[in-house]
Amino acid sequence: MTPETLYLSNKAELPYCRGCGHSLVVRQLSSALERLGLPPRSIVLTTDIGCVGLADSLFPYLHTVHTTHGRSTAFATGMALADLVQDSQGLKPVVMIGDGGAMIGLLHLVHAAQLNIDITVLIHNNFLFGMTGGQHSALSPLNWVSATTPDGNSTPPLDLLALLRTAHATFLARRSATSPELGTTIADAINYPGFAAVEIVELCTAYGTRWNQVTGVSLEGIIVQQGQAIGEVEREIERPTFRDLYRHEMASPRPKPAIPRLNIPTILAGEVRVVIAGTAGERVQSAAALLCRSALAAGLYCTQKNDNPVTQGSGFSLSEICLSPKPIEYTGMESPDVVMVVSEDGWKELEANGTMAACREKTLLLLDSAIAADPPRGQVIRLPLRREAHPKRAALAAIAAWLEKNPLLPSEAWDAVLALEPPERRAESIAALEAGRRLAGAGGASDSREAGHRE
Amino acid sequence: MLAEGALAAGCRFFAGYPITPASEIYEVMMRELPAHGGLALSAPDEISSLCYCVGASLRGLKAMTATSGPGWALMIETAQYALMTETAVVIALVQRLGPSTGGATQGAQGDIWLAEFSISGGYILPVFSPSNAKESFELAVHAFNWSERLRTPVLLLSDKEVGMTTEVVDEAALQVPELVNRPMAAAKADYFPYAAKEPENVPAFAAVGGEIKATVTGSAHDQQGRLRKNSPQVVEVLERLERKIEAHADEMAMVRPDLDPDARCLLISYGVTARAARQAVGELRGQGKRISFLQIQSLFPIPRKWLDWAVAGMETVFVAEENLTGQYRAALTPHLSGKRVYGINKIGALISPGEIARAVQGVLA
Repeated sequence: MTPETLYLSNKAELPYCRGCGHSLVVRQLSSALERLGLPPRSIVLTTDIGCVGLADSLFPYLHTVHTTHGRSTAFATGMALADLVQDSQGLKPVVMIGDGGAMIGLLHLVHAAQLNIDITVLIHNNFLFGMTGGQHSALSPLNWVSATTPDGNSTPPLDLLALLRTAHATFLARRSATSPELGTTIADAINYPGFAAVEIVELCTAYGTRWNQVTGVSLEGIIVQQGQAIGEVEREIERPTFRDLYRHEMASPRPKPAIPRLNIPTILAGEVRVVIAGTAGERVQSAAALLCRSALAAGLYCTQKNDNPVTQGSGFSLSEICLSPKPIEYTGMESPDVVMVVSEDGWKELEANGTMAACREKTLLLLDSAIAADPPRGQVIRLPLRREAHPKRAALAAIAAWLEKNPLLPSEAWDAVLALEPPERRAESIAALEAGRRLAGAGGASDSREAGHRE
Repeated sequence: MLAEGALAAGCRFFAGYPITPASEIYEVMMRELPAHGGLALSAPDEISSLCYCVGASLRGLKAMTATSGPGWALMIETAQYALMTETAVVIALVQRLGPSTGGATQGAQGDIWLAEFSISGGYILPVFSPSNAKESFELAVHAFNWSERLRTPVLLLSDKEVGMTTEVVDEAALQVPELVNRPMAAAKADYFPYAAKEPENVPAFAAVGGEIKATVTGSAHDQQGRLRKNSPQVVEVLERLERKIEAHADEMAMVRPDLDPDARCLLISYGVTARAARQAVGELRGQGKRISFLQIQSLFPIPRKWLDWAVAGMETVFVAEENLTGQYRAALTPHLSGKRVYGINKIGALISPGEIARAVQGVLA
């Protein structure tokens, strides 16, 4: 069987201009596939935009995917990754992309190289955008005359292979389209088990030769002159491929920690809306999460809505919590029942976001003693939470102090949730809860039992 | 829960890039997919994320990515490719306050137009919008099912307040629909990758790497996947792309109605604002007001069947949504002729039940 019958259609009239390098490459690709003896259905030819993108229609027996500009490498990577999941492990994506596509899709090439995923990328470098009228590209040589550089290109060309080497590419080669070794290099690249890139230096006979003194045989000279290597530039077979690593990383299922639901009668008749605010990094949101898990264990519905600056670890941190015996619709705070503020950062944010203004006379405000300012209204209790517990335990201590005065959640609920905590964290949480209960018992401004309850 | 729903739907490939407020989906998939026999991967950007997913779907896997507005803006090129190549893929778009990078940690419902009207030619992109954790799970399964059945990209339009709020879900009460897989091609000589019959209008799928040759192209093509110019066959394929969605619009429609047969006023909402709206309706009824409520879960195609049913006999329609210009209201208005239509809109924070109730009272008073 000749190469033409199995791979390149023998009826196919190549659509390229006379003398165009693309014609040489598709024939060399076909002969490389024939040499490898790969079944046609194990190849997916992934073609980019540009004249080179017409190649898919020339191979009637291969899977073909004609893509958007520059993205061919990424689509091929996705197919190769999925092939590992499908466990067929036989798919060989071959990407055909131009110099323009290589630059617009540069990060796809870089990432495929980093992953060492089994795809072969043939980069057809003819120094310009041919299909759109001969504009220069990032790979055009210095002084290259094009539709967009009539006085010659002044931007130095990118050495794509050198760049991919820094991305840990393990198979890199550069050949001219006229090179007798091109077919062998393409075959070696496809046969290679990881990422392989072959830059093929070509002539665009429509535009390259129109404005520049250049012939097919002078191309390698241009490359050498700009300090770039010809031949097999890199071949480091020791590096593990993505396939090796994927086999390694197949994980076993992780059990989900289930929160036990205790059959405890709740004393919560209606909704309670709670705001806890403090400083980022001081476990405000994790304390709020413990409260919610305890409420869940006690059979309540709850929602927790967090907020913090985009920096995550600085400035304020707050949680808005709704506890209810019934399913909860609105998760915001039209008017909170309980507000706990354990640092100045938290106070400032609640003033800024309107929470303070939304407090009513009945709102219970549990503030750290260090906060000097007074809220506009509400029943205020000040406790030395930061000093007596610890800044990182102040939020949980505040919750414990509130619940000590308003016993909405049974201690069994806390015990059940704390049992799921890692041992070191559990000890800290217990210490925080004890500190809060102690402070609540010791004093602070008095409050009514109903405070913080919605009628 | 959205990620859990995706896993339950059979998602076996995920590629993502960190972005608040969608990163939690990415993290859950990175943690959980390997244990489900799938592959989750960190992509170098959002363009790569969706390209990887489309590639994986072409190879035969159910695939999803998750992002927010700025990432979706980058993905639109590839979403169009998925639509044109009839590739099943699900995109979770967890909205935040825009424009541009906007407010990363602030919720919004401002990407309705950017989501739906992102396809050159105006083709319908199915959009499902959950209002809570439970719906995030259930609609994720529906999104995958419709993506597979119609072989088209489907958007799950969540937002920061739904995606990042922790809440209690009763797993026993989850309604998991039966899973649907894409129609597969049978081995035969005359397989045409872009030919489909009425009434489904969905071509059979041949996976890249399978026994049947796959021909995939995002360029204008005929039923055989051949690039053609000035061909009536190309126009036939393009018309079918729209028809296959439109023909299933009634079946795709999902709403949660709460109608009062004596009401002359209907409140419509979706996503997180539907929760405040539902509460506001309860408060208004408590004050003796007659009002109906319709939460729309399948935003696009517009659920005409349910909408026509719900607005029958209504004089006034309110649409509550967390954006400035009333994006979904504008999409609904052509279907509300003869009604007085009012928007209840706000940006920067959740719309509260009180604000909705006051807006309704202000008009009806």
